[in-house]
Amino acid sequence: MTIADKTELRQPAYGNAHGLKWLAAEAWDHLWPWAGRGQAARKLIQGAGFALAIAATVAWVLAAMGRLEAGAIIGWWFGWSVLEVFVRLDAKPYVKEGPWWGHLYRRATVMDMICYVSFKNLLIGAVLFIGLKSIGALQV
Amino acid sequence: MLSLRALRRFLPALASALVAGSALADTYDVKLPPELSTSPKLCDYAPCKDVMPGATSFSERRGQPPFVEAYKDEAGQKKLLGYVMLSTDITDIPAYSGKPVVTLIGMDTTGHFTGVKILKHSEPILLLGIPEAALVKFNNQYLGKFVGDNIEIGKSRPEENLIGLDAITGATVTVIAQNQVMMTSGNEVAKQVGILKPVNRPQARFIASTATPSWAELVSDGSVQRLVVKAEEVGLKSDGRPYMDLWFGYLNEPSIGRAILGKYGYDGLMSRLSAGEHAIFIIKTAGMDSFKGSGFVRGGLYDRVQVRQDKDSFTFRDLDYVNLWGVSASGAPAFDESAIFIIRGKSFSAAYPWKLIFLGNKIDKETSTKTFANFDKEYWLDAKYLEGGRPKVVKPDPTWLKVWKERAVEIGAFTVFLLLISVAYASRDKLVRRSTHKNKWPVNAFKYTAWVVSIGFVGFTAMAQPSITQVLTWFHSLLFQWKWELFLSDPLIFVFWIFIIVTVFVWGRGFFCGWLCPFGSLSELLYKIGQAVGLKRFQFHLPQKLHDKLKWVKYAVFFGLLAVSFFNMGLAEKLAEVEPFKTTFLVGIMNRSWPYSLFAAGLLGLSIFTERPFCKYLCPLGAALAMPTTFRWFGLKRKEECTSCKACAKGCGSLAIDTKGNIDQRECMLCLDCMVLYYDDHACPPLAQERKRRTKAGQPLTPINGKGYYIPIHPAPADKKQEGAAA
Ligand code: SF4
Ligand code: SF4
Repeated sequence: MTIADKTELRQPAYGNAHGLKWLAAEAWDHLWPWAGRGQAARKLIQGAGFALAIAATVAWVLAAMGRLEAGAIIGWWFGWSVLEVFVRLDAKPYVKEGPWWGHLYRRATVMDMICYVSFKNLLIGAVLFIGLKSIGALQV
Repeated sequence: MLSLRALRRFLPALASALVAGSALADTYDVKLPPELSTSPKLCDYAPCKDVMPGATSFSERRGQPPFVEAYKDEAGQKKLLGYVMLSTDITDIPAYSGKPVVTLIGMDTTGHFTGVKILKHSEPILLLGIPEAALVKFNNQYLGKFVGDNIEIGKSRPEENLIGLDAITGATVTVIAQNQVMMTSGNEVAKQVGILKPVNRPQARFIASTATPSWAELVSDGSVQRLVVKAEEVGLKSDGRPYMDLWFGYLNEPSIGRAILGKYGYDGLMSRLSAGEHAIFIIKTAGMDSFKGSGFVRGGLYDRVQVRQDKDSFTFRDLDYVNLWGVSASGAPAFDESAIFIIRGKSFSAAYPWKLIFLGNKIDKETSTKTFANFDKEYWLDAKYLEGGRPKVVKPDPTWLKVWKERAVEIGAFTVFLLLISVAYASRDKLVRRSTHKNKWPVNAFKYTAWVVSIGFVGFTAMAQPSITQVLTWFHSLLFQWKWELFLSDPLIFVFWIFIIVTVFVWGRGFFCGWLCPFGSLSELLYKIGQAVGLKRFQFHLPQKLHDKLKWVKYAVFFGLLAVSFFNMGLAEKLAEVEPFKTTFLVGIMNRSWPYSLFAAGLLGLSIFTERPFCKYLCPLGAALAMPTTFRWFGLKRKEECTSCKACAKGCGSLAIDTKGNIDQRECMLCLDCMVLYYDDHACPPLAQERKRRTKAGQPLTPINGKGYYIPIHPAPADKKQEGAAA
């Protein structure tokens, strides 16, 4: 580990889950940027986050119905990604440290979060985008 | 939306401003008159005389694919001098940019090339750096060469009858595509005008059978094939229907023919065919357009479908058409258009594979211009229909495979090199333990070797310096069209990228950047040389605070390039000149115009005095790799004392260690200096202190464990506190 200062280490929202439960919790953590029950989060950011997430989801659905152009969906996805950085910094301000199959987390700096969100959303976006393109719903 | 539009307009303007005066700027993405590809009078819109010296007049477009005849006046008589063709009339082979290079080609009546002229290209690589002269020189290699010769990029191999052409260094993919365009175009026209004779293939002999297979059986054994063209493939908006959904098959084989046409239909059709003639059927089960087309009016030629066998193509005229009223096979789909076409070329043989080709036009959404696009599907009768089974067919290797075979040794050596250096780095714990802060050779021997090989072989010789433009190209391919061939055609870069992606996740970008990037290595090597030759007192680091601000610039550069690339890839590629890689390795500092040379030389000069200025503050590739490095699996080691001790931080040339002793893996070049210190009981302060304490107390100096401490002398439980205090 590259961290000398142990106070930088964090516990993820899902606590100490193991095995399959851990895998599910981890997947949930990647897909759900908002705070879990009993966690502090600022209402405004939560609310704005929800609103934009719903809008972005609608955009994907429209794209899947062939009603939205590729450029527009990229724009929506980018916009949502920017907000997700704020939502996560507020609600789940940590990123994984070390191997992905490990259980160690560290405090996320803004840059850590930008890197995390952009990488994760690039993967999710690419999967959806290529999926929609291959069924012919999206055109470039 | 408005601003987007404005940006779209502004960026090309900026692009042309940027390239004004640079090489090949005049043909880069120029707007060609639409008549160039549609008007019968090709030569009214293209400089045909430039490729056919001596010609005084030209015919209209003729033939399929089209070409024009060039004449000269001889004593008041028109004498045929040769043929001129427009590459995009004939083939849609894309070059590196994914778009074709529009080329005008001249060929004399004996099939020798007389001229080549590029009318339009979209290759950013040719824009800057590689001078126009290089492309002209490349094209001139065709002059006087015979179209039927086996011409390829690379070395000539007389024993295989292969004529080699010299590539343009740094633009291999472009010239490989260009060669295919030249040869395909030349061949097509040469065959039409009789310069090249069709190949004679032995005819198929069918096994007698009385079976009448169902449609499903025909489909499953490949006797009926399907060719689907999606709407977006021709630049149209999809409404759920494909643009073209065709089923087709070969009818001469009795069981297939009877299944499709019924016994009487089959017998009737066969009685109309002479020896050596073949019939195929096509039905359209769905689609937005007709496969027979309206062009059928043009000279009685069906210009949307064609059959091709190897290099021979067979087109259909009105006399080659027979009505197909229905399909007898049980379970056949409903259709709304149908045809039987007769192949009359003597060289066609059903024993060998052939392709049905659908010739379409792709409409560019932005410019509404039409470009040629063709789609094909292979057909080969199943062995069970053929006496003696299928003949052996050697398919030529795809171009990328040829390149891999040709450079096998180089690729092998490079892969071994990468693996060896990786093994060395994976053994870093052993290497750093053998080193001391005064003698880092156990680590450096490997690192410096990696640098030298990277600079000399990877950079200057093989020109395999990875670049941000490749990252941008992927983003685009991901969005538009992913073509493995495009990436495979540059094998070293391909291998390098696989390696980079893997190692970024395993160890972080520091391994590539710190050990293997040709430019990064050159930059740090210059710094080390500066140190060795007595310039040390002039060498400096920026203050940490300033560095911590400036390091963000490279991310801005990366995101800036990425954003621009979505609007204008050409411009992004030009702006990517912020990487001095092309100047340094591809073209050479001495060979470029002064602004580029000055920039590269300035950065390298500055590198003598401060470590890797480009890597730290500007490199968009470094930034792109740094971002996923956030999640690298295996980092370096730290001890608790690092939070207050500043020894490593002081020695870190990358300024990657913060005040709390944490390493910023995005900035770390994995030089391992801090890891040497970690185990060095004469340099790591807590370790040195413990060494002194033990020496004084007469206690043995045990080996240092993986956590960077002496092994406790007493059994652990009783001693832990004491050791902690000492450390
Ligand atoms: S930062 Fe850029 S130039 Fe420097 S080593 Fe990394 S990729 Fe190479
Ligand atoms: S000294 Fe350590 S932190 Fe700094 S670049 Fe080298 S390996 Fe990375």
